[in-house]
Amino acid sequence: MSGPILAIESSCDDSCAAVLGGDGVVLSNIISSQGIHNRYGGVVPEIAARQHLQLLTPAIEAALSQAQVTLADLDRVAVTQGPGLIGALLVGVAQAKAIAAARGLPLVAVDHLQGHVAANFIGLEPFEPPFICLIASGGHTLLARVEDHSSYLLLGETLDDAAGEAFDKGARMLGLPFPGGPALQALAADGDDESFQFPVARNVEGCNFSFAGVKTSLLYAIRDLGEEEAEARRADLAASYQKAIVDALVERLTKALDASGLDRVAIGGGVAANGLLRSRITALGAVCHIPEISLCTDNAAMIASAARYLDDCSPQQALTLDAYPSGTRR
Amino acid sequence: MTPGVVLAFDTATAATVVGVSVNGEVVSQLADRPEVDERPRHAERLLSLCEQALSEAGKGWADVERLGVGVGPGTFTGLRIGIATTRGLQQACGAQAIAVSSLEALALPARIANPDSRVAAVLDARRSEAFVACWDANGALVVPPQAVGPERLAAAIGADEPEVLAVGDGAVLFRGSLEEASIAVPNADSPLHHISAASLCQLAASGEPSDPRRLMPDYVRRADAEITLENRLSNGG
Ligand SMILES: [Zn+2]
Repeated sequence: MSGPILAIESSCDDSCAAVLGGDGVVLSNIISSQGIHNRYGGVVPEIAARQHLQLLTPAIEAALSQAQVTLADLDRVAVTQGPGLIGALLVGVAQAKAIAAARGLPLVAVDHLQGHVAANFIGLEPFEPPFICLIASGGHTLLARVEDHSSYLLLGETLDDAAGEAFDKGARMLGLPFPGGPALQALAADGDDESFQFPVARNVEGCNFSFAGVKTSLLYAIRDLGEEEAEARRADLAASYQKAIVDALVERLTKALDASGLDRVAIGGGVAANGLLRSRITALGAVCHIPEISLCTDNAAMIASAARYLDDCSPQQALTLDAYPSGTRR
Repeated sequence: MTPGVVLAFDTATAATVVGVSVNGEVVSQLADRPEVDERPRHAERLLSLCEQALSEAGKGWADVERLGVGVGPGTFTGLRIGIATTRGLQQACGAQAIAVSSLEALALPARIANPDSRVAAVLDARRSEAFVACWDANGALVVPPQAVGPERLAAAIGADEPEVLAVGDGAVLFRGSLEEASIAVPNADSPLHHISAASLCQLAASGEPSDPRRLMPDYVRRADAEITLENRLSNGG
């Protein structure tokens, strides 16, 4: 069995470092969330990059000390190469490269989305392929067919907003603070999800998603109701809005399952915390795996997990590794 | 006491500049300088140049006693790559980290060559601004690093002083307004306009080590979003 892996993840607004044992067990999983973006109503790339520079060093130190290992005990160093905010990614990439180079450790470059998939392989009882994986967060929404541990086949993705982004924007329209997912879910609990019919974007082809329409519909509904009425019916609006987003996710997931003939499902990304989504997916009758929430949201343990099944960079690649931004895929 | 092996680098400008000195003698100087219309290559080049410079010096990572890093002001992403690299190296090999002002490194050779002049280091800060700092003939920092527009640049440097020299890509860019105020700017191809590896090594050797956790860029400018938010709040919006 190989030794522990140190992983660094800085693709968005969480400064993460983790140590994963060679057996796939999490020895530490440090997530420093940059609460600072709340006041801007969304993640500001330049501020995220500045925060990473401050937060990553202590996160790495904490990950090592919690795991009770030193750099001398490590087998490899893994880092998220992309996709994500380029300035944010580069902080993690630079630091990981430097640690690996100066310690003579192999470096593994990990695709962030492969990391979300690999969150399912963590622990002594990993969820084994094949399965269909739904990843939904503030930054991405996609469906993948997972046949092995080191890759996935993209079945569909969002054509505009991510599901978590739709939650955040809807929450904002309803006067809720950022990040909007949890607040919107809480408000929806007191509402009637049948009271408004928001579109589910069924006309989008294949297993792709679109959340621009539902967002606009909420905006119009609030406007048509007028300020007072909209205020009085916030819970109904939230419940109907949440239902439309979850319907869109579950319908596409069902379609992917039917087309693949598989009956195994995993979910990841921050939206996996949504109670309605969880109960609807569990009710599908498929074998369902949902990693604990600290492994669903952005974290470095999932990056280390992906690295277990990936090749090391060549020494030359390890020195010259660059990050790649959102909208690109390797 | 002169430290043994110093590895120093700067990523504040489009260039990636790396040097190694051993017992005060600069033994390797390397630089990657993109053309005017090319993007900086800090991420791809910094570590390779460091390894190359160390190997030219016959040294390895474990030999490094001091890490000097240019902390700007300059390009935000470049500065972060330099500092994150320093932090990683510091964690991995335990060397002391020293924050070096990129403007001070830029000014140093001009100050040595022109001991009777006031010297300004001027970097192109984009958005029609320059990052500037200025030292008088006695070596005192008389204008601390700041961002100024071309209309205020000459006055900020001190145009009424007898002998003033300005160096850096910003000095070349704003040559017109500087020369109008009798501030001398060397020819565009002068090496004085580049941050030199030797200066970085020298300043790193003599500087005070800093707590690597506190090692941060001298951004000078706040993030745009911070300014926008502050304006909105102060307008009661
Ligand atoms: Zn993610």
